[in-house]
Amino acid sequence: MAWIAERRRRSRFETVVLPHLDAGYALARWLTRNDADAADVVQEACLRAFRYFDSYREGDPKSWLLRIVRRTCYDWLERNRPSELVPLETEADLEGVVHAAPAAVTDAGALLESRSDLRRLDRLIEELPTPLREAIVLRELHELDYRQIAEVTGVPIGTVMSRLHRARAALRQAWNGKGCR
Amino acid sequence: MQCEEVRPRFEAYLDGELARAEQAQLREHVEDCPDCGPEMASLEQLRAAIRQSAPDYRAPEALRSQIRFAIRREAAANTAAASRPLAWLAYAASLLLAVAVGSGGTFLMLGDRQQDSLTAEVMDSHLRSLLATHLTDVASSDQHTVKPWFAGRSDVSPPAVDLAAQGFPLIGGRLDLIAGKPAPALVYKRREHVISIFVLPAARGDIGSTLSRQGYNLRHWDEGDLAFWAVTDAGAAELAEFERVFRSATSS
Repeated sequence: MAWIAERRRRSRFETVVLPHLDAGYALARWLTRNDADAADVVQEACLRAFRYFDSYREGDPKSWLLRIVRRTCYDWLERNRPSELVPLETEADLEGVVHAAPAAVTDAGALLESRSDLRRLDRLIEELPTPLREAIVLRELHELDYRQIAEVTGVPIGTVMSRLHRARAALRQAWNGKGCR
Repeated sequence: MQCEEVRPRFEAYLDGELARAEQAQLREHVEDCPDCGPEMASLEQLRAAIRQSAPDYRAPEALRSQIRFAIRREAAANTAAASRPLAWLAYAASLLLAVAVGSGGTFLMLGDRQQDSLTAEVMDSHLRSLLATHLTDVASSDQHTVKPWFAGRSDVSPPAVDLAAQGFPLIGGRLDLIAGKPAPALVYKRREHVISIFVLPAARGDIGSTLSRQGYNLRHWDEGDLAFWAVTDAGAAELAEFERVFRSATSS
């Protein structure tokens, strides 16, 4: 009976995928930078995920959902804020950056000194270009490893590494240049 | 170990991505090195600061229940679709055009039994993509982007060609499920109309002419070992024209 199979499919989806709804929402929130847009995107992404649920085999359901959420975010940004999807300069240029000596050591201890500083760091993350922002968010906040980030964002692991490096370098530099100390 | 060897691996170390032996070697160096020690500490502090500063975003309760509701509704629609092939179409149409429906029950065209269920699935799929404004998974007019995107995602490699010069610009590709299997769809535009063309392994004969349902037109033909199903809200003549152009561009 079709309805029994469909009900089983739905309840499996609710058990396997929906527990990662918070993770999906957080990613969408970081990518859209707005509560209402994040909610729209996540709802659309969940419906897509449900439609494609037959294509989910085994594996990590969190990465699987995040990949769909990310894809949906990009589609949404393409329609609504195409200017945010300006591609990074050629990723190949990043090779040099990864192996270059890091910038001068920052006084990072100072980072933790005040709450208003922390709020500022949070804004700095929001200001990163989308590909760098998603890399740092997936690594530091979703705690995915390189392989999972590569899977979610659809780029090679080397690119993940260089994006993380760029994101961290940019954040450290911005902190350095904040002029408070 | 020299500082220059160690530095490029700091982040991989911090991210726990190094092999155990390498991890130990690096730790040893960092503990002893007056330059690398503070550098590593600074990276660790950045991480701590990021984790501490980032808001803990959680899906609002209202969103959670909306999503559950939307999924249940979708599941119910799927069940209906399984028992009556065109029910989904009717359901979708009723959402969009509830007023228009009032003018005549024939609009719904519930379950035309003669129709192949594949026809219904292809139409459903096209309509769903319009409703969900999910036209493409890969948006590009470049055949060298669209075609490789499908590699590894589906058994069939669709012949993506841009037909902009003939009035049908390629806007991208999408992976749908047809008969429970991933099926590539190429998406073209004809002025303001969208044409989805599904590419499946050939199994059945041509339907020969254009089928019409609720203003949607569908054509099906086989070429080699592939079957093509084109659906659109553009006119029948335009769809026939599309078939001609597409076939002559792909059968070289």
